Amino acid sequence: MKCRPLALAAKDLRLVFADGAGIIQPVLLGLILVFVFSLSTPVGEEVPAQAAAAIFWLATSFAVILVFNTLYSLEGANQARIGLLLSPMPVQYIWMGKALSGLVLLLTAQIFFLPAIIVFLGQDLMVSWPGALGTILLIDWGLVAVGSLLGAMSQGHSARDSLLSVVVFPLLVPLLLAGISMGSFFLGEGTGGEPGSWLGLVLAFNALFTGAALVLFPFIYGEY
Amino acid sequence: MQIGDNQEVLLELDRVSHFFDQRLVFRDVSLKLYRGSVLLLAGPNGAGKTTLVNIMSGLIKPVHGRVITGVPREKTAFLGHYTFIYPGLSALGNLRFWAGMYSLEISDHELAKILTTVGLKGFVHESAGTFSRGMAQRLSLARVLMLRPELMFLDEPATGMDYGSRRMLRDQILEARQNGAGIVWVSHSLEEDLDQADMVMYLENKKMAFLGRPADFRMLPAEAG
Repeated sequence: MKCRPLALAAKDLRLVFADGAGIIQPVLLGLILVFVFSLSTPVGEEVPAQAAAAIFWLATSFAVILVFNTLYSLEGANQARIGLLLSPMPVQYIWMGKALSGLVLLLTAQIFFLPAIIVFLGQDLMVSWPGALGTILLIDWGLVAVGSLLGAMSQGHSARDSLLSVVVFPLLVPLLLAGISMGSFFLGEGTGGEPGSWLGLVLAFNALFTGAALVLFPFIYGEY
Repeated sequence: MQIGDNQEVLLELDRVSHFFDQRLVFRDVSLKLYRGSVLLLAGPNGAGKTTLVNIMSGLIKPVHGRVITGVPREKTAFLGHYTFIYPGLSALGNLRFWAGMYSLEISDHELAKILTTVGLKGFVHESAGTFSRGMAQRLSLARVLMLRPELMFLDEPATGMDYGSRRMLRDQILEARQNGAGIVWVSHSLEEDLDQADMVMYLENKKMAFLGRPADFRMLPAEAG
């Protein structure tokens, strides 16, 4: 039997990559952000690693907003959302499917952000790539757990984009702080302390919001 | 066909009432839907037909009363104003996706056959985004047929369909009934659809104004229905 969240995610990715706009927008916005920040540094000076990490996660946060608005708006076409709600599966599968496709899209965007940070902000990856990638994946999971929940919440509101960003950003602060501190370590500065000290916070955040999403999602998206 | 007490009840509504905020939509609707029968749901605009179908299908919980059904959701299908179609997928891709959501193991060959049944033979790999309203509704019907439902909810399913499509739709509905499906059919074309029904329910003035056989409904004075 095919895993339904995976099937949902596969459908989303096919639609987003076929259309292009859903991934090009967050990538372009993030790259513009990195480029504009690079202009703020005097010629010959390096951007501090912590600032570079902050710019990376800021670009990622904007991508979260755009990605989940795109993903949930896919279900608005011909009210496919109602079809999903009538399907014989737990409503949480929709959250899981959206979170999975959101994770893939976010990682795709970050594939462009990371080289841009290195090139435009003059950064070096001093520590092992597996550690850095593991950190990105871990923080990304927290971002998509929140993004998938609040993306569903913002559906049906006329000013949904602004609503989503207003709600998302305060919630993401602990995760972004951890990402910036761990990111600066991996970019060679290490002013934020050892990554391990932030790991507990990230794991707790991910567990809390994954659990909260599984409980709250049916109330947010399951109501017709 | 004759509806009798010995027939299997697929769906039962027990004194269902519904409100939107403080506004009463309808009160005390009770009915039974039997296996292999068509219940035609009619009434003027705003009578609450779509709300009632949404309650029957489980999309909305009624404020009062109970909806009782033993039919699993895997065997329940909905065809309404909205087609649930993803314009970015092909006709086959749409069916494949919904088959996945219902955990159906069904080959592309079989899906193509269903598309042929609804008159979309030459459009299997066409993007559904290019379909006319009538073609999209046919694709939506293909999705419903694919599920081989025991319980079907049809909310004005002929919307946007031409005469030929409406005939094909009616044939498919009658075939599903012959195969034992219970069908709730919201219709605005009473004259056209009444002959296919086994029971008629007329919603008016926030209540069930009539529930009975089509022949009895025809006997009512015009102002009553």
